[in-house]
Amino acid sequence: MKIKVILHTILKKYAKGKILENDTIILYEDTTLQGLTHYLAIPEKVGIIFLVNDFPKEKDYKLCEGDEVKLFSLICGG
Amino acid sequence: MAEARKGYTGRQLRISLNDKTCKTEKINTQVLKDYLGGVGYSAKLLYEELETGIDLLSPDNKIIFATGPLTSNRVPGGGSIEICFKSPLTKGWGEARCGGDFGPDMKKAGYDFLIIEGKATEPVYLFIDDKQITFKDATPLLGKTVSQKTKLVREELEEKDISVMCIGIAGENLVNIASVMFGGRAAGRGGAGAVMGSKNLLAIAVKGSGKVDPQDPEKYSLALQAARQVIKDSDIAKGFREFGTMGDMAGNDAAGDFPTKNWQSNNWGKGQELYDYYSKHNFIKNEMCYKGCPIACGRIARVKEGPFKTPAHDGAEYESLSAFTAFVLNEDMDAAIKSSYLCDEYGIDTISTGAVIAFAMECFEHNLISKEDAKGLDLSWGNAEVLPLLVEKIAKREGIGDLLADGVLKAAIKLGPNAQPFAVHCKGLEGPAHDPRSGKALAVTYGTANRGMCHIHPLEGMAYDSGKLDWGMMPYGVPDPNTLDRFEEKGKGKIVKILQDGLIMPDVLGVCKFFMYAGLTLEHYAGLLSGLTGWQLTGKDLVKIGERTNNLQRLFNLREGFTKEDDALPDRAKQRPLFGIYQDEDRCIVKNYEEMLKEYYEARRWDIETGIPTKEKLLDLKLYEK
Repeated sequence: MKIKVILHTILKKYAKGKILENDTIILYEDTTLQGLTHYLAIPEKVGIIFLVNDFPKEKDYKLCEGDEVKLFSLICGG
Repeated sequence: MAEARKGYTGRQLRISLNDKTCKTEKINTQVLKDYLGGVGYSAKLLYEELETGIDLLSPDNKIIFATGPLTSNRVPGGGSIEICFKSPLTKGWGEARCGGDFGPDMKKAGYDFLIIEGKATEPVYLFIDDKQITFKDATPLLGKTVSQKTKLVREELEEKDISVMCIGIAGENLVNIASVMFGGRAAGRGGAGAVMGSKNLLAIAVKGSGKVDPQDPEKYSLALQAARQVIKDSDIAKGFREFGTMGDMAGNDAAGDFPTKNWQSNNWGKGQELYDYYSKHNFIKNEMCYKGCPIACGRIARVKEGPFKTPAHDGAEYESLSAFTAFVLNEDMDAAIKSSYLCDEYGIDTISTGAVIAFAMECFEHNLISKEDAKGLDLSWGNAEVLPLLVEKIAKREGIGDLLADGVLKAAIKLGPNAQPFAVHCKGLEGPAHDPRSGKALAVTYGTANRGMCHIHPLEGMAYDSGKLDWGMMPYGVPDPNTLDRFEEKGKGKIVKILQDGLIMPDVLGVCKFFMYAGLTLEHYAGLLSGLTGWQLTGKDLVKIGERTNNLQRLFNLREGFTKEDDALPDRAKQRPLFGIYQDEDRCIVKNYEEMLKEYYEARRWDIETGIPTKEKLLDLKLYEK
């Protein structure tokens, strides 16, 4: 399935070689958000906020064809 | 007679403004060992020396400029100064931290602490040049902006780079939300600027030629190398450097950590757009706030043209720009940057100013402030043009600005009970740009932080819950944050107690807390301290000192009449968001705050019903009630 993935700030570096032009990515059916982070090789311990189609989702959410996923990690300052 | 202690200057400078005299005092080594420095030592000193119930803007208040043992240009994060005082805003423990060279330069001049007492009969500024202390006439500085004051002081002293901290017009007008400024950096919260202004002390300039030697140079050098390597390898440090604190704006909005429209919601949906505009149109380059900072999270920004034009300036921080966008529903980033810039020039806390303007807008919406009260200003939500005008009026106490100048709590009292729900604060300090509806640990840290609803001490809760940062605190009993749900409430009270005792350390040691975000742990700090002082300290020792400090500040507040009721969280910060992507998310509602608080009191070994530290706990911490 094809989905759109947008990585923010310190997560941008994980896009290299993984995310195609137009911010798209091809994944197996039933891939979850956690599966997506594994594919992108984002370390487990990094706290991530996921928005799918601009709504918050947990990491066990199963992605669907055409989903737009935004991943944010908090640099965590004031 | 105190023994000389490596790692410290061992001296504090006590200034009496009444008669323009000063006294150098040696510091008791055991006290240093028990409290280390910064907000720890200051808590000890203020608890012992300040009377209860004093008029906070009278000569009876004191203001301490405190370094810590790690304050130094050599130490990662070591460019720091803590200002401690009894807060005119909260009437309790007041502290405000500022990054910059002032702290290291104060130590080079030979002083760990600067204690200011009394009131000068005429406006003065202090010039500290090693052992030479001069009281200078500050009359020419009156009415000047912060950058003008700094320039005038440097010109008079013929020292173009000397460290200068000063108040702005707001401090001169005793605005309770006035800050003390180091260039574009602020010791923002709690009204430190008003206390300094009440003493007729407009600025302090400091330079020094000394240095503090470590007890064990080799051990210290190894500890420094280890700390620097951590920062060099840290993705978070790189993130701060590249994106600054503004890098979090889109993420915080997405996380529901973005108080919007005076806390009516925790999400706006504009965070990304605002960040993109700022990034494209306003951001110039990054900047270090003190010489040698390896992170350099500071931002130089400007508004190039138009009605909100500003020069390039040090500013554009997440808290400041959120206060002038999300808080007030303003989508114009240029107006936000202008307003933040003016706050720095006038010397007012950007967070409290944005918060009190949001409060005013809600009161205006509900006809508690009329157009006549506002002297014709349109306080409608999202009105960009009014923001910089209000900043000026607050600083000058003009028109509606006089109502707002002393913060939301006092303004709400003046406007009557219908205004109370719109005043979002803890202990009188206005809420910053982080929302406990994104992660429940923040609820407890906000309610229990000794200086009020601040963005420094409570952030460990937010970073733990949403950022999944364990801070290196798992050996001290904090669970792996990746195993916990950020919305879960049970267990967070206990976790917060441990986080608070560890994470107060940067403010005790005199360093910037961003370095703990970036990976430095209590073990790194213990290693640095051990090399510096010769004391064989561990992380566990530091947690104990942190606990002692938190409890002493608590005693300070209790003595001023604070009770458990002052640990309350405002209703707005608990309620279902009125709009946004979390409005249907039941989990983000703070349902059982009282239970979380009880759990916290229990973890602290305080009386569960009253929140008062037990005698056993005080004995354990070598504290006593005065």
